[in-house]
Amino acid sequence: MRLHPFILFVLLFSPMSSMLANDGVVFFEQKIRPALIEHCYECHSSTSEKLKGNLLLDSKAGIEKGGDSGETLIRPGDPDGSYLLRVMKHLEDGMEMPTNKPKLPDAIIADFTSWIKMGAPDPRTGVVLEAKRADKSWWSLQPLATEFAHDSIDDFISAKLSEKNLVGNPPADARSLIRRMSYDVIGLPPSYEEIVAFEREYQKSSQVAVAGLVDRLLASPRYGERWGRHWLDVIRFGESHGFERNVIVEDLWPFRDYVIQSINDDKSFQQLMIEHLAGDVIGKDNPSVEVGTAFLVAGPYDDVGNQDAVAKANIRAATLDDVITATSGAFLGLTINCARCHHHKFDPIPTEDYYRMLAAFEGVTHARRSIATQAERKALEDAMKPLNEQLKQLELEKGKIEAAIEARAKAISEQTKATRPKIDLHGTDEAFEAVEAKYLKFIIHGLTSDYQDGVKGKKRSGQGGKLTEFRVWSADPPERNVALATHGTIATGAKSATAEDFPEAYGPQYCIDDALGEAWFIGSPSELLLTFPSVETIQRITFLNARGDRSIDDSKVRGSTPCEYEVQVSIDGKQWTTVASDEGREPWSPAHGIAKARRAMETVEEDKQLADFDKQIQKIRAAIAKVPKLPQVWAGTFVTPKEPTFVRKGGDPMKLGEPIAPSSLQVLSRIPVSFELKPNAEEGERRLALAKWITHDSNPLTPRVLANRVWQYHFGTGIVDSPSDFGYLGSKPTHPDLLDFLACRLIKNGWRIKSLHREILLSKVYQQSAAYHEDFAKLDKDSRFLWRFPPRRLSAEELRDTILTVAGKMRLEPMGGPGFRLYKFTQNNVCTYFPLDVHGPETYRRSVYHQNARASIVDVLSDFDLPDNAFAAPKRANTTTPLQALTMLNHSFTLDMAKAIGDRIVGNKDKASELGVAITNAYRIVFQRDPSPKEIAAASSLIEKHGIEAFSRALLNANELLYLE
Amino acid sequence: MNENLDPSRRRFLEHMSTGMTGVALSSLLNQELRAVSSGQTHFPAKAKQVLQIFCPGAASHVDLWDHKPLLDKFDGTPMPGDAEVTFQGKNGNLMKSPWPFITAGESGKKISSLLPNMAKHVDDMAFIHSMSSRTNTHGPGCIFMNSCFARDGFPSAGAWISYAIGAINENLPTYVSIQDIRGEPPNGKANWGNGFLPAQFQGVSMAAQQPLRNLARPASIGPDAEMATRDFLKFINTEHAALHPGNDELQARLSSYELAAKMQMAAPEVSDLSKEPNHILDMYGTNDSNKLKAAYARNCLLSRRLLENGVRFVSLYCASRASAVDGLLNWDAHKTLKSDYERHCPIFDQPTAALLSDMKQRGMLEDVLVVWCTEFGRMPTHQEGTSGRDHNPDAFTTWMMGAGIRGGVSYGETDDFGRRAVVDITSVYDFYATMLHLLGLDHTKLAFYHNGANRRLTDVHGHILKSILS
Repeated sequence: MRLHPFILFVLLFSPMSSMLANDGVVFFEQKIRPALIEHCYECHSSTSEKLKGNLLLDSKAGIEKGGDSGETLIRPGDPDGSYLLRVMKHLEDGMEMPTNKPKLPDAIIADFTSWIKMGAPDPRTGVVLEAKRADKSWWSLQPLATEFAHDSIDDFISAKLSEKNLVGNPPADARSLIRRMSYDVIGLPPSYEEIVAFEREYQKSSQVAVAGLVDRLLASPRYGERWGRHWLDVIRFGESHGFERNVIVEDLWPFRDYVIQSINDDKSFQQLMIEHLAGDVIGKDNPSVEVGTAFLVAGPYDDVGNQDAVAKANIRAATLDDVITATSGAFLGLTINCARCHHHKFDPIPTEDYYRMLAAFEGVTHARRSIATQAERKALEDAMKPLNEQLKQLELEKGKIEAAIEARAKAISEQTKATRPKIDLHGTDEAFEAVEAKYLKFIIHGLTSDYQDGVKGKKRSGQGGKLTEFRVWSADPPERNVALATHGTIATGAKSATAEDFPEAYGPQYCIDDALGEAWFIGSPSELLLTFPSVETIQRITFLNARGDRSIDDSKVRGSTPCEYEVQVSIDGKQWTTVASDEGREPWSPAHGIAKARRAMETVEEDKQLADFDKQIQKIRAAIAKVPKLPQVWAGTFVTPKEPTFVRKGGDPMKLGEPIAPSSLQVLSRIPVSFELKPNAEEGERRLALAKWITHDSNPLTPRVLANRVWQYHFGTGIVDSPSDFGYLGSKPTHPDLLDFLACRLIKNGWRIKSLHREILLSKVYQQSAAYHEDFAKLDKDSRFLWRFPPRRLSAEELRDTILTVAGKMRLEPMGGPGFRLYKFTQNNVCTYFPLDVHGPETYRRSVYHQNARASIVDVLSDFDLPDNAFAAPKRANTTTPLQALTMLNHSFTLDMAKAIGDRIVGNKDKASELGVAITNAYRIVFQRDPSPKEIAAASSLIEKHGIEAFSRALLNANELLYLE
Repeated sequence: MNENLDPSRRRFLEHMSTGMTGVALSSLLNQELRAVSSGQTHFPAKAKQVLQIFCPGAASHVDLWDHKPLLDKFDGTPMPGDAEVTFQGKNGNLMKSPWPFITAGESGKKISSLLPNMAKHVDDMAFIHSMSSRTNTHGPGCIFMNSCFARDGFPSAGAWISYAIGAINENLPTYVSIQDIRGEPPNGKANWGNGFLPAQFQGVSMAAQQPLRNLARPASIGPDAEMATRDFLKFINTEHAALHPGNDELQARLSSYELAAKMQMAAPEVSDLSKEPNHILDMYGTNDSNKLKAAYARNCLLSRRLLENGVRFVSLYCASRASAVDGLLNWDAHKTLKSDYERHCPIFDQPTAALLSDMKQRGMLEDVLVVWCTEFGRMPTHQEGTSGRDHNPDAFTTWMMGAGIRGGVSYGETDDFGRRAVVDITSVYDFYATMLHLLGLDHTKLAFYHNGANRRLTDVHGHILKSILS
């Protein structure tokens, strides 16, 4: 137990102050203690059911220590400066005490004032219970150890094993070892032939054989695909934005390829992390470095948009919170994000630290930018410049001719008198002489929205309009609307929008539903065709695009309405007669009038001239389109914020506290490096300073966290079992000295991890067998102390990649590029991802190249715990469910692969003598071993009755395929 | 800490009930969690199952459940205070509901005349009129209503409950999410996701129009071949397990194949609505000429059958997502409230009311807690240039009925126009604290360690709404 200095002081000097203290003690007992018990202990005592704010008021030491607010509760002699009194007086916003109760009576507050003036005498001796939280002496915040009791991984492990009365296993057999190492390093099984060759070598010299294998595996490009995927888990990489729209991101794959390439190149993680945070700063115009900043924006992103200013600010805050969460978890193993609204409840992270980090990221915008070399930029500029100039010149010349025609047309249009009013949005009638019709066509030539974009000309778009109702009136009284669907009429017509999961949406049937709610989205060709149930005699039509009567303001609803049109009728659907049109109506707008005049007056010569220009312009545009553009990547854009960053009280972006500068975090104030920039520091400088601080050799967290991740992916569990949380709520290291040893090795190796892999892979602890011992399991069921190599289930990607490999369908090269999809992507405002029932050959690539959209389900991968990556997934779940069994048995992917295996193993399946060979082949391909006679017998009988695919389907479902030791 | 590596669920629940969540939880992460759990609770449960009916798109409280006479009176006049800019922009004047309210039940509850069938159930319902949300955006709003977090990645309530008390009938999924024929709700699959809980706790998507994925044996494989394949598989898995002692997962996977086979028997049987008598089909409206209503009615009927057969948590969606037209596919009546709700209410009203009547008549409401929700409410004003209403996160209505709920009560109030909840303001946390309480779970103790925090369904909030409990 540590004594608080103040307690020590009281103990030493109490006799001297006893007189004074006595009066005070009486006052305390009479006035203060009862008030504390009655009003405060419920939430602030060692017996509180729920301790609030980590504050204990039932001991003197508790008051001295204070709570999470970090404020000094009592300044003896200074009531105004005493936080306790201030919260009782309701002078602190959001901290009015007692919580949710009225202010205490003035008499009690006066007592506390007097008591503090007296020096706050407190006779209570109880000591503060051991804090249920970490302070700066927490293990992970200490500098790395520099001296070690051992100098090899195995010695650290053995020492701990003997301490725990455990003994490690003997070496694994060669087959298990090569399978283990292959999956571990490259995520794929070795072939049967590779195993046989390895076994032979291993027998000659195990050391030479293993060393050769390790070199071969680490040099394989498959290594980056496997370990790159681990890193993508850690940094919450996902290729759709999540949230409501969940738009797919098509240009994030260059970052995925960059991660894989970096890992294959054994790039320094110090460098990699700096590139993630500030690649654009250190690698301007160097695409392979710049692309790293995609890390910042690879998380979920709410892009719905919001007119409400408060909501907008909250969304922005949440967007950057993701960046802070990702950065602190992935690199530092800290949950800085828990300090957004208050000081961290369990770790010594003051809320200011959150805003120090925010200050570094406030200039980040989630967006795409072009990433290219200077030469590429220059080349583009050089290619575009002459084309743009030509285009400009042509448009200028064409414009002159246009202007002249336009002026003439305007004059004519102004003189033209309309004979009929313009169309009425609430219903335009066109009457005509009674006519018989089985079919009616409403041909739309122009819309009210035409000519609005400033483009001059005589062309009409007829596209993008809407129609809520179209009525056709019978000639014989009483006039009836014979267009109604309820009458039996059918409406057809193209639509300009579709919703795959709701085919009726936007269709022309809404024109004849006798309701103003839904509209037809007029498509191309812009024609509504009505088919009456029988020949009707009609004399009038009405069309409208309003959403209610004239009392309703629907100006923001209705959209564009047809205003230039023809009505045609037909008996046989072949011969058409025009019975009405917009002829004679007042133009919808002057521009409509001018355009109409132009159509009448423009000379053939002018037409030709303009067409010539259009042709030339078209040619230039085509040339421009052909110029290769700079590659765009969803890698963020950066602007120095105009305002300094402020602490936000309670995390509320509307409640600003003190301004705060981009600077190093107080939680690590004990490490020798620190930085503090000016509040208005240049944007890139902020991220770079943070990156350098995070990755500084003297920062103990970053290398510990990274070394632990490497260990975790080799052994299944880290030395620290909570890989992105090295704080109080995380777990403590099983081998703290080994962790530091590995972290030091990592730094010594220049933050490159391949040599760390090698050291681990070549260790005895890694190469030991997975043999089970009940006695040891009783002591250490999960082999956290590594008395055996912990067996494991394959990950989702390993399972799928294995199936493709054994089926002979895996296409490993070319690596990278845009991802493949095991879902159908649809977008209709928001995006929906439908899992595919059939996986085509274009998907037969490594699973790391799957374009992982958030909140999507892709059968085999999702079932086996592929994380959604809404958050980082530094550790994967490992579930067993009946749904996995259903997918593995019944999805067509399994059947396709079962068939492929069947094709691989059977030369001539009719010959019984060859069946044994086929079965042996199958076992060699799928499990990389020979079958036992018993297995051959069972397989033969299955194949004879139900064919080879029943057999290979079973093999793909076998535990032996899924579990590794 | 964390030296205790005993993984068993029983042990875990003991820790939960002694408040030692942090200790056991992170160690659990190492462990395979079994698909089947003990069904243990913190204290005796009043409800065993949950039916959640969700109308996505922000179904308007002032047009359905929360009668505001002053809105009629002041129709067309400005709302007191400054004109507000909300989600889509500026608001116009106050706008009365286009439909009258009717007086229903012995409790005399006022309810929109658009819901004549639902009106028959008001005496069994406990309305919560003072709900408020933390977001004004549909997607985050839906997941907030489902998970208490306005961000993807957190487990939905159904996943929490599956995790806590597991299955009643192992032959069916524990948690089923039934999507509307018009598609997924805003934020899609995140609404029934497992978040950071293991994948086995996610809601399984199925509906009358969409059977469970991969359930059926492929057409190309006959029953005999299937049986023989499974026997062979069992043989090789048993051999393999014998050679690999000390790996519980191997046995669990063998069992999972047996469970899958049982599910293949049970699920189609439960989903087969053709077994229902005609009067039941008619009561729900499964053959209605309105195709959307008929489809929803079939999903209502499927819900009852799933609950009857021991599914723990059923989420039933009525309507779907945003489209190119606000309010076309869901309750998001931004611009044309009248025509939108005259389309949605007839789809919702009869089938839902029939489901409630059917469950009541079968005595199912003794065990099933029914909750109705939406992500937030709508403004009492109209949106400028339209005859619809914008989003209003400050007030909305939900209701509960069935197991453990006192019927015919209304809890909380909004102000005169329904702009804000003002009396007994209720959060989504309170809503779920109450649900968990009815299921015998202490919402402060149901927790799971994730990335540095012991996460709870109710975050760090939540009060039980005691006055609506029976």
